Amino acid sequence: MMNQGEIGLKGRMDIQDLKVTFGRKGNLVEAVSGISLHVNPGEFVSIVGPSGCGKSTLLNAVAGFVKPSGGKVLLDGKEIKGPGADRGMVFQQYSLFPWMSVRKNVEFGLKMAGKERNARESAARTLLGLAGLLAFENHYPDQLSGGMRQRVGIVRALATSPQVLLMDEPFGALDAQTRVVMQEILTNMWQRFRLSVLFITHDIDESIFLSDRLYVMTARPGKIKAEIEIPLPRPRVPEMADSAEFLKLRHELHTLIREESLRAMGGELKEGLGGFDTEVGPKGVQALI
Amino acid sequence: MNTTTGLLPAKQTYEYGLDHVDALEPMSDPIPVQTKRAVNSGDSEVTTRPLAPARKMLSQWFMANIVKFLLGLLSITLFVGFWYLATKYRWDFYVRFTSIPAPGDVFTEALSLAHQEDFYKNMALSLRRIVLGFGIATVLGILFGLIIGRYRLVHSLLFPILEILRPIPAIAWVPIAIMLWPTNESSIVFITFLGSFFPILVNTIEGVSNQDKILISAARSLGAGEFALMREVILPGALPSIFTGLAIGMGVAWVSLIAAEMISGEYGIGYFTWEAYSLIQYNDIVIGMIVIGILGLACSGVIRLMGRILMPWHSTNNGRS
Repeated sequence: MMNQGEIGLKGRMDIQDLKVTFGRKGNLVEAVSGISLHVNPGEFVSIVGPSGCGKSTLLNAVAGFVKPSGGKVLLDGKEIKGPGADRGMVFQQYSLFPWMSVRKNVEFGLKMAGKERNARESAARTLLGLAGLLAFENHYPDQLSGGMRQRVGIVRALATSPQVLLMDEPFGALDAQTRVVMQEILTNMWQRFRLSVLFITHDIDESIFLSDRLYVMTARPGKIKAEIEIPLPRPRVPEMADSAEFLKLRHELHTLIREESLRAMGGELKEGLGGFDTEVGPKGVQALI
Repeated sequence: MNTTTGLLPAKQTYEYGLDHVDALEPMSDPIPVQTKRAVNSGDSEVTTRPLAPARKMLSQWFMANIVKFLLGLLSITLFVGFWYLATKYRWDFYVRFTSIPAPGDVFTEALSLAHQEDFYKNMALSLRRIVLGFGIATVLGILFGLIIGRYRLVHSLLFPILEILRPIPAIAWVPIAIMLWPTNESSIVFITFLGSFFPILVNTIEGVSNQDKILISAARSLGAGEFALMREVILPGALPSIFTGLAIGMGVAWVSLIAAEMISGEYGIGYFTWEAYSLIQYNDIVIGMIVIGILGLACSGVIRLMGRILMPWHSTNNGRS
């Protein structure tokens, strides 16, 4: 129903009935419980949900770090079997190699791909230039601010030209002002590189500002509660956060996630909310469960 | 003052577009103070730093270090002064300084030894044993440490036996080593090796298992295979811990070497020291001790220097956080 014309592009991701369980027999914890979703080529899709809902587990399964106990993840029709450079990963924690300069960090994926030193160097410099980091190419990560480190992390993930970028609350550790700037930078990079993005966050404003479409997850065990399209025009500007449309979306999402947060906390207020399995929300919201 | 309020257009801060994003970057993504300092000490910005503060910093550094140097000199002087007085007046209060050589005699003896070829041969042989024993321990300790730290199965297989052998001091191996190895020389090297192997091994294992798992995930998501992971991520990540092991290992290597030389040696500075006692050449005992101290210090210095060369990122960190 979306982007049908772009079906030929690469970077289509299908998650089919994905299940992830942790622990051993007798003490199994279901983290992700039968999730199906997709990302169209070039689409920016976010997953929002209360903390502990299994959204990071979901992303780790897509990245190939966690083995699903059921279902599968397809990238351009091919099933994912472990980590690989076709999916660029940006972590919440700083994950730059402290012993490598900024440029060497960016070059890492290309080196693993067997690229020549000169090619690596010029590719890394080009990307660092785009992110406004060229002046810091010879610095070590410890010499950079948090926002800069995370930008290097994004650039490093982009260097191998992945089909899809997986981002696990990448701006969660940054202060509010830096986060806003990072969101704009990310939008720019995304539009420039025309790649698919699967973005995990618990920040509702962030998910609306960045996404074409987003999924709301339930409290653990994580399921998809709702799928919401963000019809805001692009380019997105921070002023949009004051628009009626934005506020309406934010309100819907707050309601959805609040229910799940409460449920995760034990559901004492269940009665007061009048249940959570009912379909919520005006148009734009499809309750999937 | 009042006129400046409201002068900054909010629009400029939030205008969209890549150029603008870059332009507003420094405002919204402030470089913390520590990074500013890092930038200033970088190559390109060095010229912009005014000269006066630099000179002031230099003189401050000089003052701080001259005090340090003088205090160090004072403690050595006090030590030698005590030694001089104790031997001059042959102090005897349970601890007896009656047979201890005086600093002046030791110094004179050292001058004459400086012309004897045998003395240098002793030093050279001890150093050779250290280089061999410690070198093999470094290679094997790091290799086994990486594998044991990385693979749980190897850990379960090898760690128990290593844990049993570890508490046995290298010197306790002397009789077995003499039986085990064909030459005296190889058994001394073996003892030296044993002394330094375990600290290096244990610290390497610790460095590998304490590594931030997110870095391994990051490397794998960037396409690193197992071997590349080992070489590019696990080894450099463990380096700080490995160097701790090397520093400890070097100390234990000297302890083990000197003991082995005293017991079963031919030549070597430990042998020289013990021989001096047997031949009642008390001045030479002290000279042997001082030489051992100096050589040990020099070896530790080499380890520290290597650490600084191999881990430049580590030193940029120091005194910063």
